[in-house]
Amino acid sequence: MSEQQKTVLVIGGGFSGLTAAVETAEAGFNVVIVEKTPFFGGRVTQLNKYFPKLCPPNCGLEINFKRIKNSADITFYTQAEVEKISGQEGNYDVTIKLAPRFINDKCVGCNACNEACPVEIPNEFNFGLDKTKAAYITHNQAFPFKYVIDGKACKGKACSKCAEACKYDAIDLDMKPETVNLKVGAVVLATGWDLYDVSKLDILGGGKIRNVVTNMQMERLAAPNGPTGGKILRPSDGKEVKNIAFVQCAGSRDENHLPYCSYICCMASLKQATYLREQYPDSKVRIFYIDIRTPGRYEQFFWKVKEDPNVTLTKGKVAKIEEDTRTGDVTLVVEDVMSGKKIKEKYDMVVLAAGMVPSTKASKIPGDISYTDEGFVMAGALKKGMFAVGTLKSPVDVARSVQDATGVAIKSIQSARRS
Amino acid sequence: MADGTVIKPDLDFVKGVIDGGGESLKKCYQCATCTVVCNVTPDQNPFPRKEMVWAQWGLKEKFMGNPDVWLCHQCNDCTVYCPRGAKPGEVLGAIRKQSIKQYSAPAFLVNLVNNKALSWLIFLVPAVLLGVILSADGAFFPAEEEIKFSFFASTLTIQLVFVPALTFGFAVGIMGVMKFWADMKKAARVTSGNLGGSISATATEILSHIKFKSCGVSADRFTAHFLVLYSFIALGIATGIGVLYIDILHIESPFSLTGTGFPVKIFGAVGAAGLLLGAFLMMSNRFKNAEKVGSGSYFDWLLITIIGVIAVSGILSWLTRIAGLAPVAYSVYFIHLVFVLSLFVYLPYSKLAHLFYRSAAICFIKYSGREKR
Repeated sequence: MSEQQKTVLVIGGGFSGLTAAVETAEAGFNVVIVEKTPFFGGRVTQLNKYFPKLCPPNCGLEINFKRIKNSADITFYTQAEVEKISGQEGNYDVTIKLAPRFINDKCVGCNACNEACPVEIPNEFNFGLDKTKAAYITHNQAFPFKYVIDGKACKGKACSKCAEACKYDAIDLDMKPETVNLKVGAVVLATGWDLYDVSKLDILGGGKIRNVVTNMQMERLAAPNGPTGGKILRPSDGKEVKNIAFVQCAGSRDENHLPYCSYICCMASLKQATYLREQYPDSKVRIFYIDIRTPGRYEQFFWKVKEDPNVTLTKGKVAKIEEDTRTGDVTLVVEDVMSGKKIKEKYDMVVLAAGMVPSTKASKIPGDISYTDEGFVMAGALKKGMFAVGTLKSPVDVARSVQDATGVAIKSIQSARRS
Repeated sequence: MADGTVIKPDLDFVKGVIDGGGESLKKCYQCATCTVVCNVTPDQNPFPRKEMVWAQWGLKEKFMGNPDVWLCHQCNDCTVYCPRGAKPGEVLGAIRKQSIKQYSAPAFLVNLVNNKALSWLIFLVPAVLLGVILSADGAFFPAEEEIKFSFFASTLTIQLVFVPALTFGFAVGIMGVMKFWADMKKAARVTSGNLGGSISATATEILSHIKFKSCGVSADRFTAHFLVLYSFIALGIATGIGVLYIDILHIESPFSLTGTGFPVKIFGAVGAAGLLLGAFLMMSNRFKNAEKVGSGSYFDWLLITIIGVIAVSGILSWLTRIAGLAPVAYSVYFIHLVFVLSLFVYLPYSKLAHLFYRSAAICFIKYSGREKR
């Protein structure tokens, strides 16, 4: 067995990819893990709490980051995109393109570059809820703990304010893109998911009404490392959110948008109801649903949240949302299916429980890979030695993604050994 | 089960809805998007979500005296936004068909109009009937050189056939609508109201087409329906003046382009053109967004076909007469008569029966106060 055959490539540095990488490496195989963004951790880093235990995801992430740092068998690249995959099981040729970070390993994370940088950009990590600078780090536990300069927004050497401010000589605005060629035995696809673009939900005011946010924005609003420091304040005027509505199936189970259930949104909204209820004891939550779907033992979490007298669950899909432009309040219209009455109610803020779209809907992974109409990887049709993980195959929660990634680790080890 | 409600599903009703253009019925999962996106539904007990579940379960009695299915103008906003492709707009159309069946008599005529398998008979019966009557009249093959449709079918014969036909159509329709009205009162437990005020408000609403104006995705239905309705009114007025001139005043037919009846002729011609354009728009609207909205049921197309053929054959018979093409002119005129007769006789059974039932439903919600609540 040659070295190259013993190497497994993991594409995607979210929780699934990290898991597949550390499990494989700790079984004695070489792993290369590539991540498109400047930081590892994926969607999980953007969450405030996990359901159903309501613990912060940071501890689990940190453990994995530590396992990566401590492993001599893992090579990791950020801002890395796979350009080409060819070959077959045991002998894949892979080309990886690395975008420049413009900040080198000398960075200590002092934030001086961020303070000096004159360019403001929308903060993607917070789903546009606030701004950041072109020289930034997503949050205080980011991995790698090294700032990055957004190459598109940065004015380059003409500005150089960050370089002047940096005491550690960590800024290199001359950094160029690089290409890495690898030979690997097996490939794990773990590129995860994007949130459904709610601006397509015209009748729900997605992306247009200021106080209509997505469920992922709600995670950021509640997260201690989010734009409001964890205080749930509405975007238009920073008012405390005391009266909130959740719109389930915002685009999901809908042949005009996502013709599938995203599996996690009901649990996410129930969980987010607890964020608000904990923060503001007098707050009121109303969840509008078609069916509450809390698979398996998650049902118990549903019962627990339902017991709260300030949480109301109403069967009926919200199909109209309007904004009071003067106050910023949001009015939604829904038929209460149980009573047969149309409800028109005003809320401080409305959360659209939007679904998961596989990242491969928008950007395909190079190589001979088949996809469903929805963009999911058809795992059964993958070439030998290629494996898809977690949300690339179907919407799943973090726990199931991790289980899947652990299983795929063994598959990729077998694959690397077989050849 | 002591306190349970026993549901008696009428499976024939379900089948009737599914076969009558509501094949997507069972896809509905009761999310209620439809009731919210609908611009013409009331706030209290809005349609069409509840109608979807009633129809799925075969609760036929729920539709006895239900004005709501008739308040639907098939804008199809519900269908466009439906996440499941359950097409509530089409399903409600199929339920209305069932409702027409329920209130109309006699059964063989109901069956003839509603049963797609009998479609070959639907125009053959009036054609044969009319053929026999005209042959008996002895004017089937006019020998005169000048083309005059009264040589082919005398004014008297026409009146003896068409006046009773229209009277029949209206009589059956009015009987049906009276039953419907009684059922609506019973279902809504309404005993009294302002009938006169409701009727005049209903007339205003229908003539102004205000409900069609609130349709979202298929706002173009407004133009098509507006044209067809007003063209029929224009043609009806022109015909009425004809009857007045010929039968009552016993003066010259007003339908000559040169004589004193010139304005009446123009009135009729404009009506014919409007009808043709309206029918054309009705057809093209159905193809525009067919995949999403549905391209209409057999029941739907039957009426559009009748209207379309009446418009085309009416205009063609006029043109061929002017052109002096006697055999063609008389043949086309015969087709025209067959379809007008079909329109009259089938009035209470075809989709045109909405004239009675939708008007009654609109009137009833004003009468009962459902509209305001």
